[in-house]
Amino acid sequence: MKADPGRTEGGEFRSLMRLIPYARPYLWHFVGVVLLVLIFNGSTVLQPYLVKLAIDRDLAGGGHPGHLLFLSLLYVGIVVAGLAANYSQIMLLQSAGQQIIRRIRIDLFTHIERQGMRYFDHNATGRLVTHIANDTETVNQFFTQFFLSMIRDGLSVVMIIIAMFELDVRVAAECMVILPVIALVAVLFRRTLRRAYQTTRTRLSNIVAFLAENLAGMRIIQIFQQEARQAEAFRELADTHRGASVIEYGVSVLFNRSFEMLGNAAVAAVAWAGGLAVLHHAMAFGTLYAFISYIRQFFGPINALTQQWNTLQSSIVSADRISRVFQQAPEITDPAQPIELTAGQVRGHIRFERVSFGYRPGQPVLHDVSFEVKPGWFVGFVGATGAGKSSLMSLLLRFYDPDAGRILLDGVDIRQLRQADLHRFVGWVQQDVNLFSGTIADNIRMFRSEISDAEVRKAAEVVGAAEFIERLPDGYDTFLHGKGANLSMGERQLLAFARVVALNPRVLILDEATANLDSRTEAWVQRGLRAVARERTTLVIAHRLATIRDADQIFVLDHGHIVEQGTHDELLALNGLYADLWAKSGTEYESEAEWKTTPKTLSHPR
Amino acid sequence: MQFPHLLGAFTDALEAGRLTAGGVGRFALELLAVGVLNVVLYGIGQYRNGRLSRDFEYQLRRRLFAHWEQLSTAYFRHRSIGDLLNHAMTDVQAVREALGGGVNILTNAVFLLLSTLVMTFRTVSVKLTLVSMIPIAFIPVFVVWLGPRVRQASRRVQEALSDMADLAEESLTAIRLVKASGSEPVEERRFTERVNEIVRRQVGLYRRSALFQSTIPLMSSLSFFVALLYGGTLAMRHQIPLGAFVAFTLYLTMLTTPLQQIGFVINNFQRASASLARLSALLAEVPEIQDPPHPVVLERVRGEIEIDLPSYTYPDGAVPVLEDIHLHVRAGQTVGIVGRTGAGKTTLVSLLPRVFDPPPGTVRIDGIDVRDLSLATLRGAIAYVPQDGFLFSASIADNLRFGRADATMPALERAAEDAAVLGDIRRFPEGMDTIVGERGVTLSGGQRQRLAIARALLKDAPILVLDDSLSAVDMNTEKRIIARLRELRQGKTTLIIAHRLSAVRHADVIIVLERGRVVERGTHEELVAAGGLYAEMYARQQTGEGEVAG
Repeated sequence: MKADPGRTEGGEFRSLMRLIPYARPYLWHFVGVVLLVLIFNGSTVLQPYLVKLAIDRDLAGGGHPGHLLFLSLLYVGIVVAGLAANYSQIMLLQSAGQQIIRRIRIDLFTHIERQGMRYFDHNATGRLVTHIANDTETVNQFFTQFFLSMIRDGLSVVMIIIAMFELDVRVAAECMVILPVIALVAVLFRRTLRRAYQTTRTRLSNIVAFLAENLAGMRIIQIFQQEARQAEAFRELADTHRGASVIEYGVSVLFNRSFEMLGNAAVAAVAWAGGLAVLHHAMAFGTLYAFISYIRQFFGPINALTQQWNTLQSSIVSADRISRVFQQAPEITDPAQPIELTAGQVRGHIRFERVSFGYRPGQPVLHDVSFEVKPGWFVGFVGATGAGKSSLMSLLLRFYDPDAGRILLDGVDIRQLRQADLHRFVGWVQQDVNLFSGTIADNIRMFRSEISDAEVRKAAEVVGAAEFIERLPDGYDTFLHGKGANLSMGERQLLAFARVVALNPRVLILDEATANLDSRTEAWVQRGLRAVARERTTLVIAHRLATIRDADQIFVLDHGHIVEQGTHDELLALNGLYADLWAKSGTEYESEAEWKTTPKTLSHPR
Repeated sequence: MQFPHLLGAFTDALEAGRLTAGGVGRFALELLAVGVLNVVLYGIGQYRNGRLSRDFEYQLRRRLFAHWEQLSTAYFRHRSIGDLLNHAMTDVQAVREALGGGVNILTNAVFLLLSTLVMTFRTVSVKLTLVSMIPIAFIPVFVVWLGPRVRQASRRVQEALSDMADLAEESLTAIRLVKASGSEPVEERRFTERVNEIVRRQVGLYRRSALFQSTIPLMSSLSFFVALLYGGTLAMRHQIPLGAFVAFTLYLTMLTTPLQQIGFVINNFQRASASLARLSALLAEVPEIQDPPHPVVLERVRGEIEIDLPSYTYPDGAVPVLEDIHLHVRAGQTVGIVGRTGAGKTTLVSLLPRVFDPPPGTVRIDGIDVRDLSLATLRGAIAYVPQDGFLFSASIADNLRFGRADATMPALERAAEDAAVLGDIRRFPEGMDTIVGERGVTLSGGQRQRLAIARALLKDAPILVLDDSLSAVDMNTEKRIIARLRELRQGKTTLIIAHRLSAVRHADVIIVLERGRVVERGTHEELVAAGGLYAEMYARQQTGEGEVAG
């Protein structure tokens, strides 16, 4: 393969080389594979030779039956040895390949999980999953398929060429003309074939997407009586797919037949030239016969080799994507000498000192924010969408580091702590509850084996989630599907509360859900919330002002500044922004979910 | 088949020294001609066959889609879309492959097999042929036995792979929670378990497929062993000529491929017949909601609605979701429907356009049972705005034209203006041509709802149903839309389901649903005065418990 590393589209050969260290532990596997391929290829070469021996020594005249039996058994022995070598080769190579991608996958996943939140803001989850699931698979093909083909098919070609030159140097040299022709035809067709294949695939996925959408919206189609129109749209899609599919099939038929035709033409040419040579006694008949069979054998391995060109290219592209992930160093790291705090020591005192922060340079979201939360307090944060409430909390969780200022937990800068410790001390209940595929119990204990069933139950009881869980068909063992479709909004909230009680952090950040809950569920959730807040320092981002009415302290944010602070009554007396919000709180604004999909601009509460 | 034969004749003639230079040339030309002809004819046959099977695939998919378009929501409710997609993609493809590739390979293989057998029977002893063929005769049996096992193992690998991808996606989607709870090590452990499972299953798959790849050559070489030993002995005893022995061994190697292919084709056919059975079961599904035998066609629908529903239970349900509903809406009235999630509001309005079929005689429009009306009349008379504002991945204009296919651009703009979404559309760089959904601009919930309203307004039907379609729209916009609706729907029937009471305040009558029953009815003022559930909801939305922008 004449690989020109600089010119391969979409990636560089170097990226692939960067992954080679993953293969190094399996060096002896690869050496073993080469040996086994040699044994297998040797056995296939030996088989016809044995038959030739049998014909020449025994059958052609006056042979010995015992000798024939010996040769026959030897034949079977060689075949079995060859096949055993082939079997071992497959297992050896594939398990090495599997171990290699296993390691790459785990490292990739670990590396991605260690990234700071900014990384996830810029990289779509779907793309990251593709790197982990598919790109690794493609790279694996380089270590298995590509490697094997280079060894096996390359060896075959070399062996055939050597055999031909052994037979007759001049004719062999003439036959070499066909090599570039075969390679050229194969490469040209491969390119067309690949393009045709991709077109068909794209159009097929268009069909899938169309069907998925239309089956989901069939009700709308029927009510608006657009059956005919959608059927026509589908016909068009199916028609373009059919067109591409027929072309793809046509190209592949043309390719295979052209190859066969080339083979037949080559045989005819050799028969003609060789036949004349035999006539003039320039060549033995046996040699001609051998040449004809060798020419035919050429096509298989060369075709297979050209196919590897595609494998190499896609492996390079995938390796490039993987390398790019690995090259991204995590933005937030643990300090070299972390300060040790144990859970028992942490009282839950929080202080923000002149903190400024922006997601993008030059676009600050928080300006010089300072405040203090005493241990055990229940404090509320209010303000319009984009005022900076969530950003404050993200900083406390060290999803991001502040651009200026510092955040102290019990007097210690949180950057001096291990992230694992910080997250043991500071817990978080999110607005949209994430659920994992697994049982209710596992969702509460976050799959931690050290949290017992009894603790899970206790946590559920404390927040009042036990009631609905026990009503479920399998109780705590009820299986939840990732998107949590089988739980209502309120139930998910309670589950999230139970989760945080089970994990038992000293400081709790609570992002109140905006969802419309009916009044009964609303009452449950409020009760759960109060249970969770007990005996903890609790910071609540409130959407319902009633939730924080009794708070020890309320901070009002506006445009990244804390503009007011005090208790509910103090703030009402101040007659400022909070009092204004309170007066208007019968009114509603566009939901949080909607805000997230639109550009983040600052807006005043109306 | 002629090619080796010709080559054989050539070698025989050459060996016998019967050839001249011209003779060699002629043989070479003949070889070329036969080679070319064979390839061209086979290629044409293959292509035509492939084309035909792709036509079949196309027709089958169209038929499936047309069939699905007739099936009701009750049908789709308890089927996963993934499952249905599987029918349309995998099953159809399996049938196509059996039809195209299968037939092709089978004819080829059977022809090759028969002609080889005839050749050997004619030239070599029948007994030798039969005895030597015993091992290779097992090849198709073996393929049929192990083939599905290899496929099953590969399916299990696919499952493990998608398990891993699901976990990775779930974990990365919840990355904030994972980090906030310090769960990275736990997630890594869970991920590693999935990856190990993949390795385990992959190795199992390779074990099976390596066995598969080794056994077939083993059997064919066993045959060869018998031929060598038995045929060799015969040749030594001069019971068969040496040439026949050589030819026979060559033919024997030629037999392996077709026998293997026959096994593959049998597997293909098995899979295809299972797919075909699933597809025909699917196509045999009778559309539940159809035009009645003698449909009533109305020229003009006034929009009077009468509901006398003792109870309604979903076709696949056990407990009634609606009970004892009696409602009379005069043409032109506006009705508000409120109540908690799960109270039955959406179900109730779904009975009107027969999204679900009401019991006979219980729901009437203009005095006629909806089940007696032609579907065209019925659905033509109702414009519906779904809760989620369902839009298709197409341009905004195309989506709006769902309401009226021939609507002009000014008409589209007017409807968009009425639904207070024209400003949003104009802000998109491509305006009305903006593609929404999967591959286009992602719309906010409020924008989706307003577009869905514009789509329904464009239809300008005698009956308009808004199913909680203003939930993601802010207060001011809601007010504007409601005010505009009141003008536009002057004299036309309008049903509004809402959570926020402000959307139904002006309605001629409001009904309050609770657990499938009407618990209160009256105007806004009457209901507030009554001090029941409605008044309670109203009080809660008026005081501090309302929502503040987050």
